[in-house]
Amino acid sequence: MRSAELLGLPVVGPAGEDLGKVLDVRLVQDGPLLGAFAALRVEGLVVGTRRMASRLGYDRFDGQSDVKGPWLVAVCVRYLTRHTRYLPWDAAELSAGTVRSRVRDLPRVPPIT
Amino acid sequence: MSGRTRDLGLHLLDRQIVDPDGHAVGRVDDVELMVPEDGSPPYVIAMLTGPQALGPRLGGLLGRWVVFWSHALSRGSEAGPGRIGMELVTDFGTDISVSRTRLELGVHANEDRARDYLVGRLPGARGAER
Repeated sequence: MRSAELLGLPVVGPAGEDLGKVLDVRLVQDGPLLGAFAALRVEGLVVGTRRMASRLGYDRFDGQSDVKGPWLVAVCVRYLTRHTRYLPWDAAELSAGTVRSRVRDLPRVPPIT
Repeated sequence: MSGRTRDLGLHLLDRQIVDPDGHAVGRVDDVELMVPEDGSPPYVIAMLTGPQALGPRLGGLLGRWVVFWSHALSRGSEAGPGRIGMELVTDFGTDISVSRTRLELGVHANEDRARDYLVGRLPGARGAER
């Protein structure tokens, strides 16, 4: 499977309601050992509608991180990505070119650690 | 214990891959995910580079056009994109370092062929060697 088959897929809720598209894939480095590092395992999906704004990353870091400014850009992009949500992989189901969420209310995107 | 988190689009895709000599190998145009049969979450097993990896990511007419011309120029000698296994990664940073040289990896056959048969034969092209 390639990431291109996952990124951009439409995401729907349990009742078929539109939740946006897959904007990014959250990985955690705790998979099987591959060479010097543990493999990057898929932990969840970043779901929303503002792909370009989301790619700047302001919605993935909390206020304590290095990604704070320029403040005007941060304010604008955080406003544009205010509806971006996180779909844990355990709650996702892939079928026929669509990602279906088993939960209706998705949490905000947890900060990258 | 949970490991470090990274986002695919922010930390992996479009990053430069560099070999032990510091030469650019290519960019991470896509990644290959292994889907375990036991139903556990997929994990990244390889980075894909070159137009045959980038095309599907671009999508649409442009993506198909990129893949078509890449196939046509490779004269059918390559079945897929350049593939670099994650076991070769030695460092994740602004760039992604790998333990093999560009020549050993051989992921850009079209570029290498163009260098050997076209650019390298131009007058004054000394230094175009690999």
